[in-house]
Amino acid sequence: MKKTGVGLLVATALWLVPNYGWAQKAKGKAAASASVSASADTSGDATASGDAAAGDATGTGDATTGEATPGGEATPGGDVPGGEGLEDICKIDPTACPNLDMDKEAARKFKEPLYAVQQIFALRVRRFELAPFWSFSLNDQFIQHPGPGLGFNYYISNVLFVGLNGEYFQPFNQDQSFNAQVRRAARVAVPLTEYQWMAGVQVGYVFAYGKFAFLSDFIFQYDAYLVGGVGAISDRPIAVVDPDNRNFDWKVGLQVNAGAGLRVWVNRWLAATLELRDYAFNDKLEKLTISTTNPKDSSQWYDTNSHLTNNVQAQLGVSIFIPFSFDYRLPK
Amino acid sequence: MKTKTRKLTTRLLAGIIAAAATFGLAKPADAQEILLTGPLAGAPAVRKLRLHRQGRFEFSPGISFTILDEYRRTMFLGARLGYNFTDWLEIGVWGGYGKLIQMDTYLTDQIQSRNHDRVVRAMGNPLDTERRLTAVNLGPNFDKQLGSLDWILTPQISVIPFRGKLALFQSIYLDTDLYIFGGPAIVGITERANCTDCTSDNVHNFPTSSHVAVAPTFGLGFSFYANQWSALGVEWRFLPIAWNTGGFDTAGGGKDGEFPDNKITSADERFHFQQMLTISWNMNLPTKVRLSE
Repeated sequence: MKKTGVGLLVATALWLVPNYGWAQKAKGKAAASASVSASADTSGDATASGDAAAGDATGTGDATTGEATPGGEATPGGDVPGGEGLEDICKIDPTACPNLDMDKEAARKFKEPLYAVQQIFALRVRRFELAPFWSFSLNDQFIQHPGPGLGFNYYISNVLFVGLNGEYFQPFNQDQSFNAQVRRAARVAVPLTEYQWMAGVQVGYVFAYGKFAFLSDFIFQYDAYLVGGVGAISDRPIAVVDPDNRNFDWKVGLQVNAGAGLRVWVNRWLAATLELRDYAFNDKLEKLTISTTNPKDSSQWYDTNSHLTNNVQAQLGVSIFIPFSFDYRLPK
Repeated sequence: MKTKTRKLTTRLLAGIIAAAATFGLAKPADAQEILLTGPLAGAPAVRKLRLHRQGRFEFSPGISFTILDEYRRTMFLGARLGYNFTDWLEIGVWGGYGKLIQMDTYLTDQIQSRNHDRVVRAMGNPLDTERRLTAVNLGPNFDKQLGSLDWILTPQISVIPFRGKLALFQSIYLDTDLYIFGGPAIVGITERANCTDCTSDNVHNFPTSSHVAVAPTFGLGFSFYANQWSALGVEWRFLPIAWNTGGFDTAGGGKDGEFPDNKITSADERFHFQQMLTISWNMNLPTKVRLSE
């Protein structure tokens, strides 16, 4: 029973302590306001002083209960217990005394530099970008060349990058039924080419960045870039004119490419990317006529002219930026 | 019994007081939470947003290019007319006329080149094998039998979920939005006329006929606002539709109807996932833009 009584007293004390804090906080705020109004005339930074004093309210309450004086520390230039403070400074050295006309200061036009995008969401400079993607052909109605690819870039500056790019096509080339229909209906063979792989070096420039609000609520960031490069492509014709005798080997040739991409940031190191790129190269096509003397002679299988081929691709993938974190040079 | 009841009452009272004390302790924590949330609590993501669309009519003349065409490319001269009920919803209509600008593909030129040689040979030798084998599919001029998309009219709903701004070359700043749209497309198509005796006489081109088809259409687009009342628009439109692009007999016969039957019928219409890109200049009325709160 005695223990129960002690418990009741402790519980009552616990209950009362926070409420006591509430009361002190309100009182503290009032004191803080007074302190702000006192200091505003001299410091010219009423908000800053006010925040500091308000944050100090509980501490002031504690001080009355016998704890030290943390409240005194948090009122720089504002609280003048004991008559010391700015007024004393002014007495000692009138030249050091702040002398601001607050009305004049408030009316002064303040031209802060503002930017459309105040702080770039994700800095790219001195970061590596690993960009796996899947590509789709956009301009070849005869044979599709989808395939996985990988880009690896280094950002020299926030907008300029250099890197490597590669793709693998061999098992994914898709001969369209349209080709067979044309061959059957018009008896005209369309020379077809399948790709094995492609690789090269590239340089890019981030020419635009911005942000979108989704349904005026969720905001996400994006940027757009131009990219171009040079490299090699391994390809070969698919034998459609004389498949009984012709069997082409893979051949490596030169390719140049250019494109543009859009990157939507998921967080500061991961983004979804969509890129359109045109890979141009000189293609050796299958010869449309068959040698009557020796159809197995491979030197007779190729068309004598090479043809400029444009392989326009959409590349859908992700970008992973390494290192994952970075520091801004300036505060927000 | 009395003692037991008293003990129970005391314990119950102590429990209630302890619970009340715990509840009381949470009050200062509530105050802290308000401080943490700060003055932006409940504030909208964007203030003073320029409402480029809300309550405005839009008139957008533009040009649309078909892509991935087999035999013929079409450029539609058209326009979109719509009204934006909110900044994220527009109801309107898009239409385009495609008979004015049409271009044959390289494949069409190749087919016609070979076809012309065969027709000339057949004049001297009616039994020319290649000509006989293609007589159902190719008239003397291949380009005269090609199918074409003549016009498209589509009532559509556009939803604009994304609004934003864009810094171009770190010096030009544009408001942008991204929208998706969809609706039923009413399409005027010209294609080779149906026939049962379809062999070419090497003199007359195959007759064509026009009809109207209905197909779904959808896509997405960007608006880049140049000023308060106009914007550059870019759209990617999809139009899944079945039509006979080359005027060929490709189906209707055999066990599963996937072989030629020497007739031109609706079975020869092949499904195409038609795509087109549109560039437009979007003009909004009234010309003055409003701001959100």
